[in-house]
Amino acid sequence: MTLVLGIETSCDETAAALVDDRYHVHASVVESSIDAHRAFGGVVPELAGRAHVTTIGPVVKRALQEAGLDALSPQIDAIAVTSGPGLIGSLLVGLSAAKAFSLAWGVPFVGVNHLEGHLFAPLLEQPDLEWPLMTLLVSGGHSLIILQSGPGEHQVLGETIDDAAGEAYDKVARWLGLGYPGGPEIDRLAQVGDASRLELPVSMVGAGFDLSFSGLKTAVVRATQKHNDVAIEDVAASFQAALSEQLLRKLRSALERYEVRGVALAGGVAANSALRAKLSDLASEFALTCHLPSLEMCTDNAAMIAAAGLHRFARGESSPYSLGADPNWQLDGAR
Amino acid sequence: MNLVAIETATSACAVAVRTRGGDEFIRVFDEERRHNEVLSEAIAQLLDEAAIGVREVDRVIVDRGPGLYTGLRVGLATAIALAQGIGADLVAVTSLETLAWGAFSAGVRGRLVACVDARRGEIFTQLFELGDGAEQNSAPRVARARNVVIEWATNGAPVTFSGDGVERYLSDFAAVPNGVIHHQAVPSIRAALSMGARRVVEGAVVPLYLREADAVANFTTRERPQ
Ligand SMILES: [Zn+2]
Repeated sequence: MTLVLGIETSCDETAAALVDDRYHVHASVVESSIDAHRAFGGVVPELAGRAHVTTIGPVVKRALQEAGLDALSPQIDAIAVTSGPGLIGSLLVGLSAAKAFSLAWGVPFVGVNHLEGHLFAPLLEQPDLEWPLMTLLVSGGHSLIILQSGPGEHQVLGETIDDAAGEAYDKVARWLGLGYPGGPEIDRLAQVGDASRLELPVSMVGAGFDLSFSGLKTAVVRATQKHNDVAIEDVAASFQAALSEQLLRKLRSALERYEVRGVALAGGVAANSALRAKLSDLASEFALTCHLPSLEMCTDNAAMIAAAGLHRFARGESSPYSLGADPNWQLDGAR
Repeated sequence: MNLVAIETATSACAVAVRTRGGDEFIRVFDEERRHNEVLSEAIAQLLDEAAIGVREVDRVIVDRGPGLYTGLRVGLATAIALAQGIGADLVAVTSLETLAWGAFSAGVRGRLVACVDARRGEIFTQLFELGDGAEQNSAPRVARARNVVIEWATNGAPVTFSGDGVERYLSDFAAVPNGVIHHQAVPSIRAALSMGARRVVEGAVVPLYLREADAVANFTTRERPQ
């Protein structure tokens, strides 16, 4: 059995996990500094960086403990660490720690793309899933439609040309005077709102698979200025319906074009109830398996990083100590 | 004790290994801000040269600042993980006292003002009295470089300035009538070894920032990751 320690610090979560080559998760620990950022309506990079430094040691210690491993000589085969994309000051904490643990224990380490990590999340919940998969990766920082032909083999079909889906949620939430993060708040209000109350555009950005959400945010602002008597629940429901409609239309045309066995949702916005319901409907319409991640797998975690690392490690990859962090590492890009 | 010392408070960085027998192995990197790329590799190489295994390291010493935030976090994360991974002691020194002890070891005596570049016209600074040792005469603080210069120019007492904060504003510091400059761009890694060897282990080590997170003052959501 191959056992990998995953480390993730690309944004506001400090995480460590142990995963074996059958995608069994032995431990997964996540500490978030989100409370420190709430007042600012978004993640403050310097505060995130400060939190990672004090949290990284204890989080790794706890993960080893929960997996029943010795803190000083854990029987692991490699360390996988997120080396991009993300906040540079946050990435460097995890990367530096991963190198030092690698030195301390005499095991190799490998740098992993955070987005690729998200793509491994479905495997952790269903190791025997059938390929290929059409995956919608939506979070506060990313919005992509990806064709996955196998573990670690993927093609980006489309991505947002402006805001990420989660970012649109946060901006609209701020406009409505709701807290941060905006996703859960808007989702909760939308449950009891009337989605047909406001007419909002479903932006299609041409015939390809690219996405765009900044126009939708502007439309929400204009519509609520014009009809200031609309209940906040109705605004939330209308916005959420328009956003998920865009995602679904693009996904539908991708499914019409490419033959796959399943559809998957990944990233923080995958926790959204409207999106989950619509994706599940779409999957049954196309007679495909639908992979909806558990809530722990939606948010950033280190189990997915360990899984992506396992794959790289199995291919004989490892990184040198000189590996830098790449805050803008593209999913398709070569390192 | 076998010691490893890590210095990343300025744009340069340094690593040192001292064996139980007293042999010292030192590496200083002058290139700007490559701490993450060189640190672990340098530690591994120095341990090799010293012919000691990583598990034979008894204590890790780290400079916890004040200094450049990113550099400090790289140094701290490396030190924390290394010490935790092998079960070694972890102790901290500050950049300002390391500068003071570095000057002391080089024979400087009397008043010493340690200055670490804090960017945007400011420095992290602290006053020491170098006599039988390096005694702290003020708390570390962040100040406008110009104000520190004016303070000592009007004070009139003999004083030595040292650190990359002095190098950065060299012409200003050179103009202080009773001032002498002890050139020392990087806090002395040798001083860190000596201080760290004597220090008592005190639990968790955290960076010494001396400043609120800038981002708290001028936050924009555009800083979210892509
Ligand atoms: Zn993510």
